[in-house]
Amino acid sequence: MFVSKSMTQKVITVHPATSVIEARDLLKKHRIRHLPVVENGGFLVGIITDRDIRSALPATFYDKTGTHPEAGESAAIKVGDVMTTNPHTVSPEDTIEDALLQIQTMRVGAFPVVDRQGRLQGLLSVRDLLRAFISVLGIEEPGTLLGILVEEKLGQMKIIVDAITEENISFGSILVSRHWESNMRAVFPYLLTNNVSRVKKKLAGLGFKILDPMEWTMDRLPKHD
Amino acid sequence: MKRTGFLYDERFRNHVTGPYHPEVPERLTAIYQGIEQKGLLEHLTIIPAQPAARMWIELVHDKDYVDRFEAACRDGQTTFDSPDNQMGPETYQTALLAVGGILETIDRIIAGEIDNAFCAVRPPGHHAERSKAMGFCYFNNAAIAAAYLQTQWFLQRVAIIDIDVHHGNGTQHIFEEDATVFYYSIHQHPSFAYPGTGRAFEGGEKRGAGYTCNSTVLPGQGDAFYKEAIARDLVTAMQRFRPEFIIVSVGFDAHVDDDMSDVALSTEGYSWLMEQLVEISRRHADGKLISILEGGYDLPRLPELAGNHVQILLND
Repeated sequence: MFVSKSMTQKVITVHPATSVIEARDLLKKHRIRHLPVVENGGFLVGIITDRDIRSALPATFYDKTGTHPEAGESAAIKVGDVMTTNPHTVSPEDTIEDALLQIQTMRVGAFPVVDRQGRLQGLLSVRDLLRAFISVLGIEEPGTLLGILVEEKLGQMKIIVDAITEENISFGSILVSRHWESNMRAVFPYLLTNNVSRVKKKLAGLGFKILDPMEWTMDRLPKHD
Repeated sequence: MKRTGFLYDERFRNHVTGPYHPEVPERLTAIYQGIEQKGLLEHLTIIPAQPAARMWIELVHDKDYVDRFEAACRDGQTTFDSPDNQMGPETYQTALLAVGGILETIDRIIAGEIDNAFCAVRPPGHHAERSKAMGFCYFNNAAIAAAYLQTQWFLQRVAIIDIDVHHGNGTQHIFEEDATVFYYSIHQHPSFAYPGTGRAFEGGEKRGAGYTCNSTVLPGQGDAFYKEAIARDLVTAMQRFRPEFIIVSVGFDAHVDDDMSDVALSTEGYSWLMEQLVEISRRHADGKLISILEGGYDLPRLPELAGNHVQILLND
């Protein structure tokens, strides 16, 4: 999965000389939060977010539209004055995994996507990454998620997959969490069916522990912070 | 013609990995025959191996880890730390021999007896972490070599250039906070290959920030991409770093015929790549270069690749 396939390609951009008030109107009109700043035929020079603009304008001002007489000096503020220069970027040839691992640590909402020469090719936002992840999970199709606690030894997955396949149930996806407890992993098959009671009993009969849904968490990964 | 050393010892074949494993003793036979058939053996200084002292291995690996490895081997276990790491009763001794041979080779280069060398060792090393065996690797040969150059020979700047098609996670992690060892690796993009690390944004940590560099190659990109990446990433980094000694982790598994990878580097691409590394060693390190075998599993292709590799080391 490449960034080029998941990014937003039609990106609204601004120039460093664009007024901040105009940038604010663009964000509101298109209901977006990031504007890459480009000049000279598409070379990226920065990014400006709704938060940058809120900080630049008087508190009461962000929610109004157009230029007000009381805008005063605010009308003179340019995008180039308040944008983030040299933002962290990704390349169209990077993979979604590359982007996920970076966005987790960088505390930004979007990466501008640029080619080798520095020309803007698109924007990859947290929302785009979520969409890619949703597609991998297969959860746009109706189905049921199971949680199964499995001993960490060879061949367990085959038993689970065989048991589910014998019930004529299709898989949307299977996630494996290796950070459960020692020598155990949690397997989460997303099954494209509403009818899982039989297969749950079957799996329990094979000796697997079906996890209580209230104990499910995918958040046992070591935290960086 | 340069004075090139060749670390080769029949006992490197004693690490037996069992059936259905790609990292087999026959790899060394193929490599030896390739060098022999090219008529290069007589020009090489053959270096025999002797077991390394544990103190050198413990420059890089935790003492507990070395103990665990020794015990696992003694107790007759058939795998160690990961199912990939299949082993036999001689594996621990063989791994000690590989390290010992490499240290001996380094001593001879530093003493000026030889200019450079190829070390055809098994088991390989670059996936081995400080306390964990992974990916057919037990002791991190290249990392121990770098630590030895620092400790025994007081070198200030050592570069490890890893051209195995897989990322050398162990080597990177061991030195990622160290600004005196530059780790460069070019490998198949981690979203498509073991071990899943070595992403382009991994560039070293803390004091080592800027002293790790990863070039990632997408499936099928081949020679042209290697040429672009080496010029863009490695050559410029070495100009800044000015290494005093080059350690090459050489894997022959990026070759188009090797079914462990998809990057499709050609035989000519391999030669070109090695010529660049020799040129870098000449420019910055007075020609001091040691290449250490990592992967490379296509037995029919290994003789040619190893023969070319040694030929390039010998060329002036």
